Amino acid sequence: MMGRLLTADFLKIKRKGLWFLTLLGPFGVVALQMVNYGVRKDYLLQQSEDDWGYFLLNVHSFTPLAIVLGIAILTSFIASIENETNAWKQLIALPVSKLTVYLSKFTVLAILLFLASTLLMIFSLGYGLFLNLGETIPYLELAKFSYFPALAALPILALQLWIASVSHNQGIPITVGIFGVIFAYSSYVLPDWMIWKWPSLMNQWNEPMINVMLGVGTGILLYIAGMIDFARRDVK
Amino acid sequence: MEYIVQTQNLSKRFGKEQAVSNMNLQIRKGEIYGFLGPNGAGKTTTIRMLLGLMKPSSGTIKIFQKDITKERIQILANVGSLVENPSYYPHLTAYENLEAIRKILGVSKSRIDEVLEIVRLKEAANKKVKGFSLGMKQRLGIAASLLHNPELLILDEPTNGLDPSGIIEIRNLIKRLPKEYGMTIIISSHLLSEIDQMATQVGIVSKGKLIFQDSIEAMRQFAQPKVTFKVNNSEKGWRSLLANGIKADYRDGVIFLEECSDEKVAHIVQVLVQEGISIFRVEEEKRSLEEIFLQMTTGEQAI
Repeated sequence: MMGRLLTADFLKIKRKGLWFLTLLGPFGVVALQMVNYGVRKDYLLQQSEDDWGYFLLNVHSFTPLAIVLGIAILTSFIASIENETNAWKQLIALPVSKLTVYLSKFTVLAILLFLASTLLMIFSLGYGLFLNLGETIPYLELAKFSYFPALAALPILALQLWIASVSHNQGIPITVGIFGVIFAYSSYVLPDWMIWKWPSLMNQWNEPMINVMLGVGTGILLYIAGMIDFARRDVK
Repeated sequence: MEYIVQTQNLSKRFGKEQAVSNMNLQIRKGEIYGFLGPNGAGKTTTIRMLLGLMKPSSGTIKIFQKDITKERIQILANVGSLVENPSYYPHLTAYENLEAIRKILGVSKSRIDEVLEIVRLKEAANKKVKGFSLGMKQRLGIAASLLHNPELLILDEPTNGLDPSGIIEIRNLIKRLPKEYGMTIIISSHLLSEIDQMATQVGIVSKGKLIFQDSIEAMRQFAQPKVTFKVNNSEKGWRSLLANGIKADYRDGVIFLEECSDEKVAHIVQVLVQEGISIFRVEEEKRSLEEIFLQMTTGEQAI
Protein backbone atom coordinates (compact mmCIF):
# COMPACT_ATOMS: atom_id res chain seq x y z
CA MET A 1 0.00 0.00 0.00
CA MET A 2 2.90 2.29 0.83
CA GLY A 3 4.30 1.95 -2.68
CA ARG A 4 0.98 2.90 -4.27
CA LEU A 5 0.59 5.93 -2.04
CA LEU A 6 4.13 7.03 -2.82
CA THR A 7 3.64 6.88 -6.58
CA ALA A 8 0.36 8.77 -6.18
CA ASP A 9 2.10 11.41 -4.07
CA PHE A 10 4.85 11.81 -6.62
CA LEU A 11 2.17 12.28 -9.29
CA LYS A 12 0.52 14.97 -7.18
CA ILE A 13 3.66 17.10 -6.85
CA LYS A 14 3.88 17.39 -10.63
CA ARG A 15 3.87 20.96 -11.93
CA LYS A 16 4.03 22.36 -8.39
CA GLY A 17 7.67 23.44 -8.67
CA LEU A 18 8.89 21.10 -5.93
CA TRP A 19 11.47 19.45 -8.16
CA PHE A 20 12.67 22.85 -9.27
CA LEU A 21 13.07 24.03 -5.67
CA THR A 22 14.97 20.85 -4.86
CA LEU A 23 17.41 21.78 -7.60
CA LEU A 24 17.47 25.49 -6.81
CA GLY A 25 18.44 25.07 -3.13
CA PRO A 26 21.81 23.35 -3.57
CA PHE A 27 22.51 25.34 -6.70
CA GLY A 28 21.94 28.59 -4.81
CA VAL A 29 24.28 27.57 -2.01
CA VAL A 30 27.11 26.78 -4.43
CA ALA A 31 26.30 29.82 -6.58
CA LEU A 32 26.98 32.05 -3.57
CA GLN A 33 30.46 30.57 -3.42
CA MET A 34 30.83 31.16 -7.15
CA VAL A 35 30.32 34.83 -6.43
CA ASN A 36 32.56 34.70 -3.37
CA TYR A 37 35.44 32.90 -5.12
CA GLY A 38 34.81 34.75 -8.35
CA VAL A 39 35.39 38.10 -6.67
CA ARG A 40 38.22 37.29 -4.26
CA LYS A 41 39.64 33.88 -5.06
CA ASP A 42 43.28 34.79 -4.35
CA TYR A 43 42.46 36.25 -0.95
CA LEU A 44 40.38 33.21 0.01
CA LEU A 45 43.06 30.75 -1.04
CA GLN A 46 45.53 32.53 1.26
CA GLN A 47 43.30 32.03 4.28
CA SER A 48 44.10 28.38 4.74
CA GLU A 49 46.58 25.69 3.79
CA ASP A 50 43.73 23.28 3.19
CA ASP A 51 41.98 24.90 0.22
CA TRP A 52 39.39 22.12 -0.21
CA GLY A 53 38.51 22.15 3.48
CA TYR A 54 38.19 25.92 3.53
CA PHE A 55 36.02 25.86 0.41
CA LEU A 56 33.70 23.24 1.94
CA LEU A 57 33.42 25.32 5.12
CA ASN A 58 32.41 28.31 3.03
CA VAL A 59 29.80 26.29 1.19
CA HIS A 60 28.55 24.91 4.47
CA SER A 61 28.03 28.37 5.92
CA PHE A 62 24.87 28.72 3.85
CA THR A 63 23.71 25.08 3.78
CA PRO A 64 21.74 25.14 7.06
CA LEU A 65 19.82 28.23 5.98
CA ALA A 66 18.93 26.70 2.63
CA ILE A 67 17.86 23.45 4.28
CA VAL A 68 15.64 25.06 6.92
CA LEU A 69 14.07 27.39 4.38
CA GLY A 70 13.67 24.60 1.86
CA ILE A 71 12.00 22.31 4.38
CA ALA A 72 9.52 25.01 5.36
CA ILE A 73 8.59 25.68 1.74
CA LEU A 74 8.43 22.04 0.62
CA THR A 75 6.32 20.88 3.58
CA SER A 76 3.78 23.64 3.19
CA PHE A 77 3.62 22.98 -0.57
CA ILE A 78 2.98 19.30 0.01
CA ALA A 79 0.33 20.01 2.62
CA SER A 80 -1.26 22.72 0.48
CA ILE A 81 -1.83 20.22 -2.33
CA GLU A 82 -4.23 18.38 -0.02
CA ASN A 83 -5.44 21.47 1.82
CA GLU A 84 -6.36 23.51 -1.24
CA THR A 85 -9.65 21.75 -1.92
CA ASN A 86 -9.60 19.76 1.31
CA ALA A 87 -8.60 16.64 -0.56
CA TRP A 88 -7.66 15.05 2.78
CA LYS A 89 -11.26 13.90 3.13
CA GLN A 90 -11.18 12.25 -0.28
CA LEU A 91 -7.78 10.68 0.38
CA ILE A 92 -8.65 9.32 3.81
CA ALA A 93 -12.03 7.96 2.64
CA LEU A 94 -10.01 5.62 0.41
CA PRO A 95 -9.02 2.22 1.77
CA VAL A 96 -5.73 3.43 3.25
CA SER A 97 -4.55 3.79 6.80
CA LYS A 98 -3.93 7.31 8.00
CA LEU A 99 -0.53 6.28 9.32
CA THR A 100 0.54 5.24 5.83
CA VAL A 101 -0.79 8.47 4.32
CA TYR A 102 1.41 10.43 6.73
CA LEU A 103 4.41 8.16 6.22
CA SER A 104 4.09 8.59 2.46
CA LYS A 105 4.13 12.39 2.70
CA PHE A 106 7.16 12.24 4.98
CA THR A 107 8.94 9.87 2.64
CA VAL A 108 8.39 12.12 -0.37
CA LEU A 109 9.88 15.03 1.57
CA ALA A 110 12.79 12.97 2.85
CA ILE A 111 13.54 11.80 -0.70
CA LEU A 112 13.51 15.39 -1.96
CA LEU A 113 15.76 16.47 0.92
CA PHE A 114 18.32 13.77 0.21
CA LEU A 115 18.18 14.44 -3.48
CA ALA A 116 19.01 18.07 -2.68
CA SER A 117 21.93 16.89 -0.51
CA THR A 118 23.25 14.74 -3.32
CA LEU A 119 22.99 17.64 -5.73
CA LEU A 120 24.83 19.82 -3.22
CA MET A 121 27.63 17.29 -3.17
CA ILE A 122 27.83 17.17 -6.96
CA PHE A 123 27.75 20.94 -7.33
CA SER A 124 30.37 21.46 -4.60
CA LEU A 125 32.63 18.88 -6.18
CA GLY A 126 32.13 20.35 -9.63
CA TYR A 127 32.90 23.91 -8.60
CA GLY A 128 35.77 22.75 -6.40
CA LEU A 129 37.32 20.97 -9.37
CA PHE A 130 36.76 24.07 -11.50
CA LEU A 131 38.59 26.18 -8.91
CA ASN A 132 41.48 23.71 -9.02
CA LEU A 133 41.73 23.45 -5.25
CA GLY A 134 44.23 20.63 -5.18
CA GLU A 135 44.95 17.12 -6.33
CA THR A 136 43.64 15.23 -3.32
CA ILE A 137 39.92 15.59 -3.18
CA PRO A 138 38.52 15.03 0.37
CA TYR A 139 35.57 12.83 -0.66
CA LEU A 140 34.71 11.89 2.90
CA GLU A 141 34.55 15.51 4.03
CA LEU A 142 32.54 16.37 0.95
CA ALA A 143 29.98 13.69 1.76
CA LYS A 144 29.85 14.74 5.40
CA PHE A 145 29.20 18.38 4.60
CA SER A 146 26.50 17.37 2.14
CA TYR A 147 24.55 14.76 4.08
CA PHE A 148 25.12 15.57 7.74
CA PRO A 149 23.16 18.86 7.71
CA ALA A 150 20.18 17.11 6.11
CA LEU A 151 20.25 14.30 8.68
CA ALA A 152 20.56 16.82 11.50
CA ALA A 153 17.57 18.71 10.02
CA LEU A 154 15.20 15.70 10.22
CA PRO A 155 13.52 16.98 13.43
CA ILE A 156 12.71 20.24 11.63
CA LEU A 157 11.23 18.27 8.74
CA ALA A 158 9.12 16.16 11.11
CA LEU A 159 7.97 19.22 13.04
CA GLN A 160 7.09 21.25 9.95
CA LEU A 161 5.16 18.37 8.37
CA TRP A 162 3.25 17.84 11.60
CA ILE A 163 2.26 21.50 11.81
CA ALA A 164 1.50 21.83 8.10
CA SER A 165 -0.70 18.75 7.91
CA VAL A 166 -2.85 19.53 10.94
CA SER A 167 -3.23 23.30 10.41
CA HIS A 168 -6.08 24.55 8.27
CA ASN A 169 -4.39 27.90 8.16
CA GLN A 170 -1.14 27.57 6.22
CA GLY A 171 0.03 30.81 7.81
CA ILE A 172 0.95 28.85 10.92
CA PRO A 173 3.54 26.48 9.37
CA ILE A 174 4.94 29.37 7.31
CA THR A 175 5.38 31.46 10.46
CA VAL A 176 7.11 28.60 12.24
CA GLY A 177 9.26 28.16 9.13
CA ILE A 178 10.29 31.81 9.14
CA PHE A 179 11.25 31.62 12.81
CA GLY A 180 13.19 28.48 11.98
CA VAL A 181 15.15 30.35 9.32
CA ILE A 182 15.90 33.17 11.75
CA PHE A 183 17.03 30.62 14.34
CA ALA A 184 19.19 28.84 11.78
CA TYR A 185 20.71 32.16 10.80
CA SER A 186 21.65 32.88 14.40
CA SER A 187 22.77 29.36 15.26
CA TYR A 188 26.05 30.73 16.70
CA VAL A 189 24.23 32.13 19.68
CA LEU A 190 21.63 29.41 20.08
CA PRO A 191 21.90 26.81 22.86
CA ASP A 192 22.79 23.29 21.74
CA TRP A 193 19.35 21.82 22.46
CA MET A 194 17.58 23.94 19.82
CA ILE A 195 16.82 21.76 16.78
CA TRP A 196 17.37 24.70 14.42
CA LYS A 197 21.00 24.83 15.45
CA TRP A 198 21.71 21.22 14.56
CA PRO A 199 22.08 21.53 10.75
CA SER A 200 24.98 23.92 11.35
CA LEU A 201 26.78 20.89 12.86
CA MET A 202 28.09 23.10 15.67
CA ASN A 203 28.08 22.02 19.28
CA GLN A 204 30.15 22.58 22.37
CA TRP A 205 32.02 19.29 21.86
CA ASN A 206 32.92 20.15 18.28
CA GLU A 207 31.70 16.79 17.10
CA PRO A 208 29.26 16.93 14.11
CA MET A 209 28.34 13.29 14.63
CA ILE A 210 26.45 14.24 17.81
CA ASN A 211 24.17 16.53 15.78
CA VAL A 212 23.53 13.75 13.29
CA MET A 213 22.65 11.24 16.01
CA LEU A 214 20.46 13.74 17.81
CA GLY A 215 18.84 14.71 14.52
CA VAL A 216 17.94 11.18 13.51
CA GLY A 217 16.77 10.23 17.02
CA THR A 218 14.70 13.35 17.65
CA GLY A 219 13.47 13.27 14.06
CA ILE A 220 12.05 9.79 14.55
CA LEU A 221 10.40 10.80 17.84
CA LEU A 222 8.83 13.94 16.35
CA TYR A 223 7.74 11.98 13.30
CA ILE A 224 5.97 9.38 15.45
CA ALA A 225 4.32 12.08 17.56
CA GLY A 226 3.10 13.88 14.42
CA MET A 227 1.85 10.68 12.84
CA ILE A 228 -0.12 9.65 15.93
CA ASP A 229 -1.62 13.12 16.26
CA PHE A 230 -2.55 13.16 12.57
CA ALA A 231 -4.24 9.75 12.81
CA ARG A 232 -6.09 10.70 15.99
CA ARG A 233 -7.71 13.83 14.55
CA ASP A 234 -11.08 13.94 12.82
CA VAL A 235 -10.92 14.93 9.17
CA LYS A 236 -12.92 18.08 8.62
CA MET B 1 -33.41 -8.54 6.36
CA GLU B 2 -29.80 -7.79 5.75
CA TYR B 3 -28.74 -4.18 6.00
CA ILE B 4 -25.84 -2.73 4.03
CA VAL B 5 -25.57 0.12 6.51
CA GLN B 6 -26.78 -0.05 10.05
CA THR B 7 -26.02 2.39 12.82
CA GLN B 8 -26.96 2.02 16.44
CA ASN B 9 -27.37 5.01 18.72
CA LEU B 10 -24.79 6.85 16.68
CA SER B 11 -23.85 10.12 18.37
CA LYS B 12 -21.26 12.80 17.88
CA ARG B 13 -20.59 15.85 19.96
CA PHE B 14 -18.23 18.72 19.31
CA GLY B 15 -17.46 20.23 22.68
CA LYS B 16 -20.86 21.22 24.04
CA GLU B 17 -22.67 20.96 20.76
CA GLN B 18 -24.49 17.71 20.06
CA ALA B 19 -24.21 17.36 16.29
CA VAL B 20 -25.72 13.89 15.96
CA SER B 21 -27.68 12.06 18.60
CA ASN B 22 -28.86 8.46 18.77
CA MET B 23 -29.17 7.93 15.08
CA ASN B 24 -30.36 4.52 13.94
CA LEU B 25 -29.98 4.27 10.20
CA GLN B 26 -31.03 1.14 8.34
CA ILE B 27 -30.25 0.89 4.67
CA ARG B 28 -30.95 -2.15 2.54
CA LYS B 29 -29.16 -3.35 -0.56
CA GLY B 30 -30.10 -1.73 -3.84
CA GLU B 31 -31.85 1.24 -2.25
CA ILE B 32 -31.33 4.87 -3.07
CA TYR B 33 -31.49 6.24 0.42
CA GLY B 34 -32.33 9.93 0.57
CA PHE B 35 -30.78 11.52 3.61
CA LEU B 36 -32.70 14.69 4.10
CA GLY B 37 -32.48 17.60 6.47
CA PRO B 38 -31.94 21.33 6.65
CA ASN B 39 -28.42 22.73 6.55
CA GLY B 40 -26.55 22.06 9.75
CA ALA B 41 -28.81 19.19 10.80
CA GLY B 42 -25.91 16.75 11.07
CA LYS B 43 -26.04 15.06 7.68
CA THR B 44 -22.42 15.69 6.75
CA THR B 45 -21.21 14.75 10.22
CA THR B 46 -23.09 11.45 9.97
CA ILE B 47 -21.66 10.78 6.53
CA ARG B 48 -18.16 11.53 7.78
CA MET B 49 -18.62 9.02 10.52
CA LEU B 50 -19.89 6.43 8.02
CA LEU B 51 -16.66 6.93 6.07
CA GLY B 52 -14.46 6.73 9.15
CA LEU B 53 -13.30 10.32 8.72
CA MET B 54 -14.64 11.12 12.16
CA LYS B 55 -14.91 8.91 15.18
CA PRO B 56 -18.35 8.63 16.78
CA SER B 57 -18.63 9.86 20.37
CA SER B 58 -20.80 6.83 21.02
CA GLY B 59 -22.77 4.21 19.15
CA THR B 60 -21.77 1.75 16.46
CA ILE B 61 -21.67 1.74 12.68
CA LYS B 62 -21.89 -1.47 10.69
CA ILE B 63 -21.34 -1.44 6.96
CA PHE B 64 -21.57 -4.77 5.12
CA GLN B 65 -22.07 -6.25 8.62
CA LYS B 66 -18.59 -5.13 9.61
CA ASP B 67 -17.67 -2.66 12.31
CA ILE B 68 -16.17 0.52 10.85
CA THR B 69 -13.80 1.08 13.77
CA LYS B 70 -12.32 -2.40 13.41
CA GLU B 71 -12.38 -3.09 9.68
CA ARG B 72 -12.29 0.39 8.18
CA ILE B 73 -9.95 -0.42 5.32
CA GLN B 74 -11.80 -3.57 4.20
CA ILE B 75 -15.09 -1.66 4.27
CA LEU B 76 -13.78 1.38 2.41
CA ALA B 77 -12.44 -0.88 -0.33
CA ASN B 78 -16.08 -1.28 -1.36
CA VAL B 79 -17.32 2.23 -0.66
CA GLY B 80 -17.18 5.19 -3.01
CA SER B 81 -17.78 8.67 -1.68
CA LEU B 82 -18.14 12.32 -2.51
CA VAL B 83 -18.24 14.47 0.60
CA GLU B 84 -19.52 18.04 0.38
CA ASN B 85 -17.56 20.19 -2.06
CA PRO B 86 -15.66 18.13 -4.56
CA SER B 87 -12.00 17.61 -3.73
CA TYR B 88 -9.55 17.64 -6.57
CA TYR B 89 -6.00 18.65 -7.44
CA PRO B 90 -6.41 21.78 -9.58
CA HIS B 91 -2.91 21.67 -11.08
CA LEU B 92 -3.51 18.18 -12.50
CA THR B 93 -5.69 17.16 -15.42
CA ALA B 94 -8.91 15.21 -14.92
CA TYR B 95 -7.11 12.07 -16.04
CA GLU B 96 -4.20 12.64 -13.64
CA ASN B 97 -6.59 13.32 -10.80
CA LEU B 98 -8.22 9.96 -11.35
CA GLU B 99 -4.83 8.33 -11.87
CA ALA B 100 -3.65 9.53 -8.45
CA ILE B 101 -6.65 7.86 -6.86
CA ARG B 102 -6.52 4.81 -9.10
CA LYS B 103 -2.93 4.15 -8.00
CA ILE B 104 -4.01 4.02 -4.39
CA LEU B 105 -7.02 1.82 -5.12
CA GLY B 106 -4.97 -0.50 -7.30
CA VAL B 107 -7.60 -0.98 -10.01
CA SER B 108 -6.81 -1.32 -13.69
CA LYS B 109 -6.02 1.71 -15.83
CA SER B 110 -8.94 1.04 -18.16
CA ARG B 111 -11.32 1.99 -15.33
CA ILE B 112 -10.31 5.64 -15.74
CA ASP B 113 -11.68 5.75 -19.27
CA GLU B 114 -14.75 3.84 -18.19
CA VAL B 115 -15.67 6.22 -15.38
CA LEU B 116 -14.89 9.27 -17.53
CA GLU B 117 -17.32 7.79 -20.03
CA ILE B 118 -19.99 7.28 -17.35
CA VAL B 119 -19.85 10.92 -16.21
CA ARG B 120 -19.25 12.16 -19.77
CA LEU B 121 -15.98 13.96 -19.17
CA LYS B 122 -14.00 12.18 -21.82
CA GLU B 123 -13.39 15.25 -23.94
CA ALA B 124 -12.07 17.18 -20.93
CA ALA B 125 -9.84 14.34 -19.71
CA ASN B 126 -6.59 16.11 -20.54
CA LYS B 127 -7.54 19.56 -19.34
CA LYS B 128 -6.49 20.90 -15.98
CA VAL B 129 -9.25 20.72 -13.42
CA LYS B 130 -8.52 24.35 -12.44
CA GLY B 131 -10.56 25.51 -15.43
CA PHE B 132 -13.52 23.18 -14.90
CA SER B 133 -17.00 24.43 -14.09
CA LEU B 134 -18.47 23.39 -10.77
CA GLY B 135 -20.66 20.84 -12.53
CA MET B 136 -17.65 19.26 -14.19
CA LYS B 137 -15.75 19.15 -10.90
CA GLN B 138 -18.75 17.54 -9.27
CA ARG B 139 -18.89 14.93 -12.04
CA LEU B 140 -15.17 14.33 -11.70
CA GLY B 141 -15.77 13.71 -7.99
CA ILE B 142 -18.44 11.17 -8.85
CA ALA B 143 -16.11 9.56 -11.39
CA ALA B 144 -13.47 9.21 -8.67
CA SER B 145 -15.98 7.60 -6.35
CA LEU B 146 -16.91 5.05 -9.03
CA LEU B 147 -13.35 4.02 -9.88
CA HIS B 148 -13.30 0.81 -7.84
CA ASN B 149 -16.89 -0.17 -8.69
CA PRO B 150 -18.06 0.17 -5.09
CA GLU B 151 -21.03 -1.70 -3.65
CA LEU B 152 -22.00 1.34 -1.64
CA LEU B 153 -21.86 4.89 -2.91
CA ILE B 154 -22.15 7.79 -0.48
CA LEU B 155 -22.85 11.16 -2.05
CA ASP B 156 -23.12 14.24 0.14
CA GLU B 157 -25.07 17.02 -1.56
CA PRO B 158 -23.97 16.00 -5.06
CA THR B 159 -26.19 18.57 -6.78
CA ASN B 160 -25.21 21.47 -4.55
CA GLY B 161 -24.47 24.59 -6.56
CA LEU B 162 -25.27 23.06 -9.93
CA ASP B 163 -27.44 24.63 -12.61
CA PRO B 164 -30.71 22.89 -13.56
CA SER B 165 -29.24 20.96 -16.48
CA GLY B 166 -26.36 19.82 -14.30
CA ILE B 167 -28.80 18.70 -11.63
CA ILE B 168 -30.84 16.69 -14.13
CA GLU B 169 -27.69 15.10 -15.51
CA ILE B 170 -26.45 14.00 -12.11
CA ARG B 171 -29.92 12.82 -11.11
CA ASN B 172 -30.18 10.59 -14.16
CA LEU B 173 -26.72 9.25 -13.50
CA ILE B 174 -27.57 8.41 -9.90
CA LYS B 175 -30.82 6.71 -10.86
CA ARG B 176 -28.96 4.56 -13.37
CA LEU B 177 -26.35 3.20 -10.98
CA PRO B 178 -28.40 0.82 -8.80
CA LYS B 179 -30.06 -0.68 -11.88
CA GLU B 180 -26.94 -1.09 -13.97
CA TYR B 181 -24.32 -1.83 -11.36
CA GLY B 182 -26.31 -3.07 -8.38
CA MET B 183 -25.02 -0.31 -6.16
CA THR B 184 -26.62 0.91 -2.98
CA ILE B 185 -26.62 4.69 -2.77
CA ILE B 186 -26.86 7.11 0.11
CA ILE B 187 -27.52 10.61 -1.08
CA SER B 188 -27.90 13.59 1.19
CA SER B 189 -29.64 16.82 0.36
CA HIS B 190 -31.45 19.70 1.96
CA LEU B 191 -33.88 19.81 -0.97
CA LEU B 192 -36.82 17.47 -0.72
CA SER B 193 -37.67 17.83 -4.41
CA GLU B 194 -34.24 16.38 -5.18
CA ILE B 195 -34.72 13.34 -3.00
CA ASP B 196 -38.34 12.95 -4.09
CA GLN B 197 -37.24 12.33 -7.65
CA MET B 198 -34.52 9.81 -6.89
CA ALA B 199 -34.86 8.08 -3.57
CA THR B 200 -36.65 4.88 -2.72
CA GLN B 201 -36.12 5.30 1.02
CA VAL B 202 -35.96 8.50 3.02
CA GLY B 203 -34.41 9.42 6.32
CA ILE B 204 -35.17 12.87 7.64
CA VAL B 205 -32.80 14.37 10.12
CA SER B 206 -33.33 17.49 12.15
CA LYS B 207 -31.10 18.87 14.88
CA GLY B 208 -29.02 15.72 14.82
CA LYS B 209 -31.96 13.38 15.30
CA LEU B 210 -33.51 11.02 12.81
CA ILE B 211 -37.18 12.00 12.90
CA PHE B 212 -38.47 9.89 10.02
CA GLN B 213 -37.21 6.81 8.22
CA ASP B 214 -39.35 4.90 5.76
CA SER B 215 -40.07 4.47 2.07
CA ILE B 216 -40.81 7.52 -0.03
CA GLU B 217 -44.36 6.19 -0.54
CA ALA B 218 -44.92 6.16 3.19
CA MET B 219 -43.85 9.77 3.26
CA ARG B 220 -46.25 10.62 0.47
CA GLN B 221 -49.05 9.17 2.63
CA PHE B 222 -48.55 12.23 4.77
CA ALA B 223 -49.40 14.39 1.83
CA GLN B 224 -53.16 13.92 2.24
CA PRO B 225 -55.16 16.48 0.36
CA LYS B 226 -57.37 18.95 2.19
CA VAL B 227 -60.75 20.09 0.82
CA THR B 228 -61.93 23.67 1.29
CA PHE B 229 -65.39 25.12 0.73
CA LYS B 230 -65.93 28.78 -0.05
CA VAL B 231 -69.56 29.76 0.60
CA ASN B 232 -71.53 32.97 1.09
CA ASN B 233 -72.13 32.41 4.79
CA SER B 234 -69.32 30.30 6.12
CA GLU B 235 -70.18 30.38 9.79
CA LYS B 236 -73.77 29.31 9.22
CA GLY B 237 -72.65 26.61 6.85
CA TRP B 238 -70.09 25.33 9.32
CA ARG B 239 -72.67 25.17 12.12
CA SER B 240 -75.11 23.29 9.97
CA LEU B 241 -72.43 20.81 9.00
CA LEU B 242 -71.64 20.24 12.66
CA ALA B 243 -75.36 19.86 13.37
CA ASN B 244 -75.41 17.13 10.71
CA GLY B 245 -72.55 15.33 12.41
CA ILE B 246 -69.83 16.28 9.93
CA LYS B 247 -66.58 17.27 11.60
CA ALA B 248 -65.38 20.31 9.69
CA ASP B 249 -63.08 23.16 10.57
CA TYR B 250 -63.77 26.82 10.14
CA ARG B 251 -61.04 29.40 9.77
CA ASP B 252 -60.53 32.70 7.94
CA GLY B 253 -63.98 32.55 6.35
CA VAL B 254 -63.52 29.11 4.78
CA ILE B 255 -64.74 25.71 5.78
CA PHE B 256 -62.19 22.97 5.37
CA LEU B 257 -61.87 19.25 5.95
CA GLU B 258 -58.89 16.98 6.27
CA GLU B 259 -59.21 13.59 4.61
CA CYS B 260 -62.30 13.79 2.49
CA SER B 261 -63.71 11.01 0.31
CA ASP B 262 -65.73 11.77 -2.82
CA GLU B 263 -68.99 10.64 -1.17
CA LYS B 264 -68.34 12.89 1.80
CA VAL B 265 -67.85 15.92 -0.44
CA ALA B 266 -71.11 15.14 -2.21
CA HIS B 267 -72.88 14.81 1.14
CA ILE B 268 -71.51 18.12 2.39
CA VAL B 269 -72.58 19.92 -0.77
CA GLN B 270 -76.04 18.45 -0.39
CA VAL B 271 -76.31 19.60 3.23
CA LEU B 272 -75.14 23.10 2.38
CA VAL B 273 -77.52 23.43 -0.55
CA GLN B 274 -80.42 22.25 1.57
CA GLU B 275 -79.56 24.95 4.11
CA GLY B 276 -79.85 27.49 1.32
CA ILE B 277 -76.21 28.43 1.28
CA SER B 278 -74.56 29.43 -1.99
CA ILE B 279 -71.45 27.47 -2.74
CA PHE B 280 -68.80 29.44 -4.63
CA ARG B 281 -65.94 27.02 -4.75
CA VAL B 282 -65.00 23.50 -3.67
CA GLU B 283 -61.27 23.06 -3.87
CA GLU B 284 -58.81 20.33 -3.17
CA GLU B 285 -55.57 21.60 -1.70
CA LYS B 286 -52.72 19.18 -2.00
CA ARG B 287 -50.12 19.43 0.68
CA SER B 288 -46.76 19.16 -0.95
CA LEU B 289 -43.99 17.04 0.46
CA GLU B 290 -42.11 20.31 0.94
CA GLU B 291 -44.74 21.42 3.41
CA ILE B 292 -44.59 18.15 5.28
CA PHE B 293 -40.84 18.32 5.37
CA LEU B 294 -40.91 21.89 6.65
CA GLN B 295 -43.52 20.96 9.22
CA MET B 296 -41.44 18.03 10.42
CA THR B 297 -38.20 19.94 10.67
CA THR B 298 -39.48 23.25 12.02
CA GLY B 299 -41.88 21.57 14.45
CA GLU B 300 -38.78 20.30 16.14
CA GLN B 301 -37.33 23.80 16.43
CA ALA B 302 -40.51 25.29 17.91
CA ILE B 303 -40.23 23.06 20.98
